[in-house]
Amino acid sequence: MRTILILIKKEFLQVFRNPLLLSILVVAPLVEFMIFPFCADYEIKVLNIAFIDNDRSQISKDIIHSFNSSEIFVSKGLLDNKEEADEMMKHDQIDLLIEIPINFENNLYNNENTQIAVTANAINSVKAGIGTGYVQEIIGGYMQDFAAMHTPANMQAAISSANETAAQQKQGQRQAAAVPSAPIRTTNAAKVNISNIYWYNEQMNYKNLIVPGILVILVTLIGCYVTALNLVREKEIGTIEQVNVTPIRKWQFLLGKMIPFWLLGMAEFGAGLIIMKFIFGISVQGSLPLLLGITAIYLFVMLGLGFFISSVSENQLQSMFIVLFLFIVFVLLSGVFTPTEGMPGWAHKINYLNPMSFYIEVIKKIILKGSAFESVMTETIVLSVMAVIINTGAVVSYREASK
Amino acid sequence: MFSIEANQLTKQFGTFTAVDHISFQVNEGEIFGFLGANGAGKTTAIKMMSGLLLPTSGTAMIAGFDIRTQSKLIKRNIGYMSQKFSLYGDLTVFENMQLFGTIYKIPRKELKDRIMNSLRELDMEKQADTLVDSIPLGWKQKLAFATAILHRPKIVFLDEPTSGVDPIVRREFWKLIYLAASKGVTILVTTHYMDEAEYCNRISIMSEGQIKLIGTPDELKKKMEVNTINDVFVKFVKR
Repeated sequence: MRTILILIKKEFLQVFRNPLLLSILVVAPLVEFMIFPFCADYEIKVLNIAFIDNDRSQISKDIIHSFNSSEIFVSKGLLDNKEEADEMMKHDQIDLLIEIPINFENNLYNNENTQIAVTANAINSVKAGIGTGYVQEIIGGYMQDFAAMHTPANMQAAISSANETAAQQKQGQRQAAAVPSAPIRTTNAAKVNISNIYWYNEQMNYKNLIVPGILVILVTLIGCYVTALNLVREKEIGTIEQVNVTPIRKWQFLLGKMIPFWLLGMAEFGAGLIIMKFIFGISVQGSLPLLLGITAIYLFVMLGLGFFISSVSENQLQSMFIVLFLFIVFVLLSGVFTPTEGMPGWAHKINYLNPMSFYIEVIKKIILKGSAFESVMTETIVLSVMAVIINTGAVVSYREASK
Repeated sequence: MFSIEANQLTKQFGTFTAVDHISFQVNEGEIFGFLGANGAGKTTAIKMMSGLLLPTSGTAMIAGFDIRTQSKLIKRNIGYMSQKFSLYGDLTVFENMQLFGTIYKIPRKELKDRIMNSLRELDMEKQADTLVDSIPLGWKQKLAFATAILHRPKIVFLDEPTSGVDPIVRREFWKLIYLAASKGVTILVTTHYMDEAEYCNRISIMSEGQIKLIGTPDELKKKMEVNTINDVFVKFVKR
């Protein structure tokens, strides 16, 4: 016990005497927290839209008019032809183009299928996705009103849309967006109410997603990066040899290193929560002790990983590269900044090995949804198992390395 | 009983044999010198005897303990100082000694007394709270030695303790070694300063992993018919 205490003291003394490490621990997180949430913003405030009306009917005019009542759409007016629209999209003057075909009104009255083409500039895929969604909603809403007015005439309106990037257009490649064309039946159309409520993030405020994500990155960085460099540094300067000739046990030495960084990580997490509350106005919806408890487990996973990397590396450069590689994989796969739903099946399988993907789930559930223990139990168990495995691995590989 | 007793000790790294069947004995309180060119296998031999490396074959008894099976007990009874200075540069003199003394489980009060005593012997009392990084190399080496014997080991392994140190500090360093030996500590020291070899009770000359010559400095000089250990070494290498 006294041995571990003196090791903890040593580690703290070293951290606080190392200006570079201190700045990594204190300044980097603050900067990340203060700047990143304001840049990584997927929020759509304005969508520029233009129309090509080949029908020139009352209905087509009504449809175009219905976009004016929306705050998010800014109309760039009626265009004559596709070439003009193409040119505008290339110069980023419009995000969306709506094309109403000839005989649209007639077809509608005659109960024939007809289609409105929605073209979106998919260079900004988020904008394109959300934009076509909104368009569908507005046109769908109009069709409902129309159908309600024209009962009992049995009509179908189908909307299909295509996302096109301005760049891809030239090569004739079209990306069909997965917007299903939904036939609307007059008999029950009046009862159907399309409404979008984004649960747990009602204002679609992306800071609510980004800020917890940064919290996750912070904890991971402290846990993994700093420790990965720590042990291998002792290898480089030779102090580890002096320690290895003493009767100290390997697990004692590792624990003496782990506890200080674990405490630092928890302190950083706490500071992060405070910043989150007072600067971004996001408070923890769920139980704080539960959140801290799972974070403690996650930190042990990351600390163990850091020490594992450290004990298999020859020098700090090597372990830095390994951490960097793993870190990028973790972040991109975990769904911290990008939705995992769109990923292929194999990526989901890899994610079963990615501690960050479990932890971000916990963070989102507890901070945003206010979930209780039952709904994060799986994640907690997985993270605990990971912590045990990786830390055992770290002790074993450190023991092997010093033989 | 011998303090150190090596028997056919061998270490291979892949196909390269770093230490090749060496056998020798060192008495209690003896200062035993390991001489040899760079790469002769001195450091590897020391690492095996201090429990840092397992031998490929052969064995050694250190302070009565087997290096293969009793490395924990060995570690408790030896001190070690490597050719690379390896105290923590970002800790103070006192903090370093306190750290290692605590690892060896010296009781708190006793430890403080021992640290103060040994700093007094080194004439470094004023430097107790100085960061180790900011003291000169020669002093660092003396400090490393004092730290290595703080827990009063039976044997101390010194791997090129004086490389890069000026002659005055080297002389002071050897005074410390003599002082320790006079208290019954066995010293095994590697060096390539031939004048230092003269200070040893007995020396061995290693080459290509093997011990080629062993004996007191006078015996070796007589055997090779020269006046200094330096000449012994030169003549040996030429042969």
